[in-house]
Amino acid sequence: MEEVVLQLKDATYRHSVYAPLPFKPWRRIRGQGIFSANLSLHKGTILGLVGPNGAGKTTLLRMMAGILPLQAGSVHDADEHSGTVISDERLRHMVGHMPEQVRWQGRNTVRNALLGIGEMRQVSESRIDGLLKLVGLQSRIDSPLNELSQGMRQRLTLAAALLGSPKILLLDEPLNGLDPVAAAAFIVLLGKLTEKGVSIVLSSHQVEGLVEIIDRLALMHRGQILAEGTMLEVAKHLNLDKKTEITGEGDAPDFSKYTVEYKSIEIEQYSNNWKAVLPNSGPGLLKKLVNDEFEIISWKDRQPNVIEMLCAATGQSVEDVGLEVSSTAVLPLRTFRGEEE
Amino acid sequence: MSDFSRIMLFAKRLMQERLFSTRMYIMLPILLLFIPGMAWGFSDPNIILPGGHQPDTAMEVLFYASLGVVFGATMCAVLLSYDSVSRERASGVLELRLAQPMPRSHQAIAMILGSWRAILIPTWILLVLSVLIVRYRIGEWLSIIDCLVYFSSTALILLWYVLFTLLASSYTREQGTAISFGIGLWFLFTFLWALVTTMVAYASGVSIGQENDAAWIMLEGGLDLLSPNGVYHHLLETRLPQIDRGVAVWQSWAMALAWTILPSWLFVRRMEKILP
Repeated sequence: MEEVVLQLKDATYRHSVYAPLPFKPWRRIRGQGIFSANLSLHKGTILGLVGPNGAGKTTLLRMMAGILPLQAGSVHDADEHSGTVISDERLRHMVGHMPEQVRWQGRNTVRNALLGIGEMRQVSESRIDGLLKLVGLQSRIDSPLNELSQGMRQRLTLAAALLGSPKILLLDEPLNGLDPVAAAAFIVLLGKLTEKGVSIVLSSHQVEGLVEIIDRLALMHRGQILAEGTMLEVAKHLNLDKKTEITGEGDAPDFSKYTVEYKSIEIEQYSNNWKAVLPNSGPGLLKKLVNDEFEIISWKDRQPNVIEMLCAATGQSVEDVGLEVSSTAVLPLRTFRGEEE
Repeated sequence: MSDFSRIMLFAKRLMQERLFSTRMYIMLPILLLFIPGMAWGFSDPNIILPGGHQPDTAMEVLFYASLGVVFGATMCAVLLSYDSVSRERASGVLELRLAQPMPRSHQAIAMILGSWRAILIPTWILLVLSVLIVRYRIGEWLSIIDCLVYFSSTALILLWYVLFTLLASSYTREQGTAISFGIGLWFLFTFLWALVTTMVAYASGVSIGQENDAAWIMLEGGLDLLSPNGVYHHLLETRLPQIDRGVAVWQSWAMALAWTILPSWLFVRRMEKILP
């Protein structure tokens, strides 16, 4: 296991929301946010934060960046027992933060905009020029911010996050607006950074592409981290075994007559063929299907994907959720003491 | 690099952004018209003001010409700084800045200094031009102390308007609300304060607008301490012995200090707690 560089222990932050009363129009209460998050960042690894809209990914990243102050819990710079609690200011020295979408605008040039941020970290001009080259903006160094495309703005934000050579890099939806080639180059860059020992936390909605990059996964829902670990650890934690995907010609077989366990299988019947995903194949199933004269085209094992993990962790299915933002009924809000509200 | 140098460097960058912005180019003719223009007009040797008064010293001419600062420069201060926080917040640049190790209080001070200097530099240049115009027109130089009071009072009134606008900008998420607040406040202190004074005078049983009524003059002088424009004029009046509105010199400077410290403290405190 790699060295722990940062650890959140029961970190809590709840947004203040207006809850006016007739005689107290200014009344505010604590609403949604992050509840008792426990998370370890390992040196030179990429942690993927995955969760539905409103899960609290951005809030968690802002807490880790020292932008939102913790209302409870603490941040340690190594493992819980030997590590010391880090102040927000020290955290900001350690961390480079790339917000979700920075709309750089104005007549200021790319270089000047980055210099402005760099001066806050006491970064030299040569380092800034180097970073602009690294993110592929060297030809746009004197362009006004107003003339940048969304992808270029995203690159500039990445350069700003890399100022001061941070040990930890927090990236909120970094692939937004990047063209496929730039996205691939970006992923290569992330690999190089991890080789240098930089720990990266990456939040993205593009979950399928994410699996290729990340070393560890944290599933979030309603402000809570439901599971964290490697893909295999998370799958095991959620009792998700690998599945078997079978495709065949003609009509799909009635799997229930082979064994009771197959009642929960997913079958998709097309005009001339079918596809079935089984929790596990069980002994002798292929032989039984062949004996019953079913034409099998393919038979392969499949690891549970991130969406399945997320659905398993939240108790939701893709059909249930659709495009609706997750409802508060799924998980209760908890107070600092863990009591349900 | 020391904290002070870092603040000054950041302030300089913010100042340059505003000083060379399009809106500054739009406002420069207005400033030119209001500040040296008024100095030119009030220094006319044949001018007779309402009431038959004729300004006869350089300080008196510049006191009347300070209307240009009150009407033009303060408005420009509002227009230059109204989006200092709200725009950065809406674009996401504020989040990036808040993630930097520079303390938020230092960032706030740099914002104040940057926005303030962006309007102060052109205004001071135009004030120097006004002093030269007055010298040319009436043949009298402003004394060193008069100069110090005139320039520092003008710097202070601009700072107050910058602070109000920055505060509004930090509380609002929309730039429209920020500018409405800034202009509203400017309107209140520039045009509506006379109405407030009249209402208080009426409620207190003081005869309204009687120039020779001591009670009215005292009341107006006292209420003016509650307005930045009023305090500005009180500061200038400290160099005009013929004007006495019942407010001591120390009271004027004490209120100037209060108008400076309180909004500055509120803004720094606000920036320490601001959310992206």
